Amino acid sequence: MTAFALSPSRLAANALVTVGAAVIFVPLVLTVYLSVFDETIIVFPPQGYTLAWYARILPEFGGALRTSGLTALGAATISLAVGIPAGIGLSRYRFRGRRAAVTLLLAPLTIPGVAIGLGIFVLAVLIEERTEWALSGSVWLMVAAHVLITLPWVVRLCLASLANHDRAAEEAAASLGATPLMVIWRVTLPAMRGGIVAGALFAFIVSFENLEMTLFLTAPGLTTLPIAVLSYLQYHIDPLIAAIAVAQIVLVGGALVLLDRQVRISRVAV
Amino acid sequence: MDAAGERRQGAAAATFLAPATLVVMVMLMAPLLLLLRFSLNRYDRTELMIETVTGANYLRFFSDPFYIGVMRTTLAVAALSTLLCLLLGLPLAYRLARMQSRWKTACMLGIVLPLFIGSTVRMVGWMILFAHGGVIDAVARWFNGRGMEVMYTSFAVIAGIVSINLPFVVLTIQSTIETIDTRLEEAAGSLGAPPARMFWRIVWPLALPGTATAGILCFILAMNAYATPYLLGGPRFQMMAPLLYWEFSTNNNWPFASALALLLMTTTLLMTACANWIIPARYRA
Repeated sequence: MTAFALSPSRLAANALVTVGAAVIFVPLVLTVYLSVFDETIIVFPPQGYTLAWYARILPEFGGALRTSGLTALGAATISLAVGIPAGIGLSRYRFRGRRAAVTLLLAPLTIPGVAIGLGIFVLAVLIEERTEWALSGSVWLMVAAHVLITLPWVVRLCLASLANHDRAAEEAAASLGATPLMVIWRVTLPAMRGGIVAGALFAFIVSFENLEMTLFLTAPGLTTLPIAVLSYLQYHIDPLIAAIAVAQIVLVGGALVLLDRQVRISRVAV
Repeated sequence: MDAAGERRQGAAAATFLAPATLVVMVMLMAPLLLLLRFSLNRYDRTELMIETVTGANYLRFFSDPFYIGVMRTTLAVAALSTLLCLLLGLPLAYRLARMQSRWKTACMLGIVLPLFIGSTVRMVGWMILFAHGGVIDAVARWFNGRGMEVMYTSFAVIAGIVSINLPFVVLTIQSTIETIDTRLEEAAGSLGAPPARMFWRIVWPLALPGTATAGILCFILAMNAYATPYLLGGPRFQMMAPLLYWEFSTNNNWPFASALALLLMTTTLLMTACANWIIPARYRA
């Protein structure tokens, strides 16, 4: 191999790998760097370094953080309750229209987020006009919409976790007198534990970071973190916003490292 | 399986699938149908929306050079960033797939992590690079004394989109390359093929299905990008998703926004179908 070490094609490949890695990581590294600047604007080099910006995250963005967290928690919970049975049903039975059902349940992944957001908003307004139920701009609508975009992930991960599942254990339990619900509770669900944990975490993260769809569902007093960050970024770029970004990177990174022990994330992320 | 058995299985499956199907029907299908209906309505400055059946919104889109231009920009940005993503993603994916050291898991997590941080937060880094007084500007000022404005250019937007989509592309291609038997490459090497030839004759054809999937995914994501053109492109750089939101929130023109949503969705699906059609059947995933 050393004979080719300096061949032009190898050099080109190395250059592309370097550029690719730089495009992914340089912005993240710069964000971490800016978050400790003791300046209110970007000045190189800064007059000093401070961690004070991290203390201001909660006072400035606490409300948005709370909305995002609660929405993601609610959406992930409902998504699991709805998606786990769907995953079991799809893996257990062979029936006509199974492919169509899979396509339908995964469809939210391929439809533009802005189209989904606008559609859900106009539907809510229409229902509101008919029933006088203040739906648009409510946290309920937000959670319901987020269930839609997190559901494909839960279904996909549950399906994957049952791919090598042997149904013999379920049949044995049933022949020994276990009720169908008992079989699911004691045999099927434990077998798909990895998929459920991964699904819960993916659902939470996908909901937490969603921007395009959520844009249409916010209201005064009901803003999620990505949208608060977006409207802040439109006018200023300062260490505070970098600190929020870093806090999110650390939280998500920690969650992924924990999750990696359960399932190989790289296998299910795409 | 006999017909009765299949029906029994179908009935059992229906109970398991009903709640999830209901969610998608109510939250996705009904809203999309409603958009289709709204896109045929007429917009009025005082009454906002007048119920009717007209193709005026679509006609307006196709007859106004501004909107056609926005669609053209969106397509061009999506196509260019997809090409760049594939160019940068292939070597990176190959390196990752053939990595043997104990750092592999760490590298994989490093690629997955950015996927889950969200496009808004990831834009912060690019804004530090591109902003007035940012890294590039500061370095250029040090060299030429004038600085360099990169913010609000199409270069900035494409760089931002590439950086957001690249991890997706790398992971998709990497998982395909993992399935290629390394002995094929060793055989080519021992028969005297230089690495470049080995790559193009062995790895490239076998990796094509994954590469195609990655390209399509990247294209869809780029077509629908919101945060990147909004923040890095500035007010003068128009792409479909920000334009749609602007028509909705600032102009309150729901009929036209609905038409834009459907046009964006249809264009994306059409381009995806075209890509599937162009790629020879034997290379499809």
